[in-house]
Amino acid sequence: MRHSTRKARAVIAISVVAASALLLVGCSNPASTSNTAALKGNIRILANITPVLTKSYYQKLVAPFVKSHPGVTITIESPSGKDVQSTLQQELASGSTPDIVASALDSVVAPQMTPFPNAKWVKATPLYNTNEVKGKVWAVATGVQIKSLVFYNETAFKKAGITSTPKSLAQFTTALNKLTAAGYVGFQTSGDWVTSAQFGMMSDPAVIGKNFNWYTERNDKKVTFADSAYNTYLKAYASWVKSGAIPKDSLGETYQDTINNFLAGKSGIYVMANWFVASANAAPPSFKIGVFPTPTPDGSTPKQEGGTAQPYSILKASKHQALDMALVQYLVSNKKAVDTSLASEGNFRAGYSYPGSALNTAVAKLLDKAPGTFNGTAPGLDPAFGNEETTAVQSLITGTSAKQAAATLDTWWDTNANQ
Amino acid sequence: MPTSNTTTVGVVAHAAAPAGGFRVRPGALRAKRRETLADIGMLAPALILVGGLIVIPLFFALYLSFTDWDGFTLPAQFVGPHNYIRLFTDPSVLHSIGVTLLITVIGTIVCNVLGLGLAIALNRNTRLNAFLRVLVFYPYIVGPVILGFLWSSILGTDGAVNSVLGQLKQPLLPFLSDPTWALATVICIIVWSSFGVNVVLYLAGLQTVPESLIEAATIDGASPWQVFWRVKLPMLAPTVTVNVVLVVIGLLRVYELILALTEGGPAGSTQSFVYSILSSSFQNSQLGYGAAQSIVLMIGIIIASVGITAARRRSEQAVAA
Repeated sequence: MRHSTRKARAVIAISVVAASALLLVGCSNPASTSNTAALKGNIRILANITPVLTKSYYQKLVAPFVKSHPGVTITIESPSGKDVQSTLQQELASGSTPDIVASALDSVVAPQMTPFPNAKWVKATPLYNTNEVKGKVWAVATGVQIKSLVFYNETAFKKAGITSTPKSLAQFTTALNKLTAAGYVGFQTSGDWVTSAQFGMMSDPAVIGKNFNWYTERNDKKVTFADSAYNTYLKAYASWVKSGAIPKDSLGETYQDTINNFLAGKSGIYVMANWFVASANAAPPSFKIGVFPTPTPDGSTPKQEGGTAQPYSILKASKHQALDMALVQYLVSNKKAVDTSLASEGNFRAGYSYPGSALNTAVAKLLDKAPGTFNGTAPGLDPAFGNEETTAVQSLITGTSAKQAAATLDTWWDTNANQ
Repeated sequence: MPTSNTTTVGVVAHAAAPAGGFRVRPGALRAKRRETLADIGMLAPALILVGGLIVIPLFFALYLSFTDWDGFTLPAQFVGPHNYIRLFTDPSVLHSIGVTLLITVIGTIVCNVLGLGLAIALNRNTRLNAFLRVLVFYPYIVGPVILGFLWSSILGTDGAVNSVLGQLKQPLLPFLSDPTWALATVICIIVWSSFGVNVVLYLAGLQTVPESLIEAATIDGASPWQVFWRVKLPMLAPTVTVNVVLVVIGLLRVYELILALTEGGPAGSTQSFVYSILSSSFQNSQLGYGAAQSIVLMIGIIIASVGITAARRRSEQAVAA
């Protein structure tokens, strides 16, 4: 209920997250700005713009830094290409690079980034060593996020006669069928990146969550998509399309449509990372939203796919390195800035807390109960795989069989990956 | 005797002068040198621009196409013709080439037929026609990215059209969610957004058709259809060539509108060749592979342009005669 959701707002003691040892990195060391206050210049930040992380959000986030640094201006730039990664690479090729990038990036750009110092504040950032190449940290994050989550409409579940949250793929399929029969869109998805992102959120725990070197083994041709848990999920996904739980016109929707439709009560299930909580908090629906971990083939609780949230990198080509470093230090260390960042997407970080909703708490509890976490960017993963995975999963909606999709992925990997 | 002064100066100055037969005045030589320097000076800006912005990047792209360069790591490894062999066996690239050719063929025909038809309809100078000309040309001046997002919000599953259909309890139309529909939608929007320039070019071409020819044909008893077919259309031959070449080149490079409208989906069904080039180059960090695709596209554009121009030459010569 809208009222109860609001009422349930409370300070999340992020100590619940403390149980997830992987995510713990120690206390922060607030950045001192006194020795950088004399620096001047315009800093260009190429930022990941989302429905939550808007330009206005970034401008408010950096406003205190600008205020304490007279002569400093900050320009927030949206990606001009398909995403931040491709925009940055185009800008690198053209020689017109930003000073700072505020987005997760593929490690292929690591050599273009200024290494962060071996300082206490860098080591205090979450999962800092996951962004280490040849002993140099090239990106520092504000928090961590988890992705293997299924948000559901509790009212829809009641109407459909679903009494407990599904744990196995079979139970999940049954729940989807009941939701569809009750007149809901069973599984809320859309075109573009959402299709494969959701698929990865579900299948990754069963693939790289179980074997972190799966992609390396795929490169060595020791495993295949067709003979792995990927195929199990492809088959399940194809069956959801066939039963109508995933409408065939889903691909004509956008990411924002998925949020709007779920919050409008049109769909029963929405697989998404914890950042969805911010959208739900901003526009509380008329029903209560529940959350459970993504289903597994055997019904066991999956590890949570996690990763760094809201990371920052500094371009070597930037002409005011000291100023950039001071800004990034502020963004990932200043308590107010970190709290604002964490709250914006409902992310986590040990030692930090922010006012959250009941849904924030529910997600935090899931993280606490998870048997572990793993980074989705596993070794051996080809950066181009995301596009191919999107095409393969979308092709299930347009009529391709799971067998064909798995075969396509294997063929693509054999001929294109890591070339 | 030499046939021109230029040849005389060149030959005599170096070979004949020592023999004492024919001497070139030093002033003439200096004037010639000044003239040559002036020529070079005037050509230099253009040569520098063409060299710096076209020739050098072209050769650089050609070099990159034989490497595995990811855009960052140096030195790039030479891989021979591997990228070219790969692109002609890569199903997604071949599919994108097929999509581009389909868009180009259909788009070129429709843009030109529609452009010429509307140009004839709007050829008379009335206030309404002036307004309609602006209306037709308007989409061309709006950026393709803006148009893509605009049409996406109109034709998406939750877009304006389907919302109305939903209110009327009618089945939704899969404009952007079904591969065939999505491709048809992309072609329609590309044509709608670009044929305005064809209308303008054909209107300009129609202004050049001598009124006396039309009057003569009419006096000889030609019907309006015969006037169009036997008089106007042949006189428009050079305009047709320009229009066809421009549309073909434009459509072979189509990208922005697809990016904003469908992002190449659903399931890669609307991914164009340029979309594939940019994905390979920047999203997948395979700049060498992207460069190979760019070279193939460039060769394709040259072949298409030269081929069309050559094929149209006879019609144009007839007009000139």
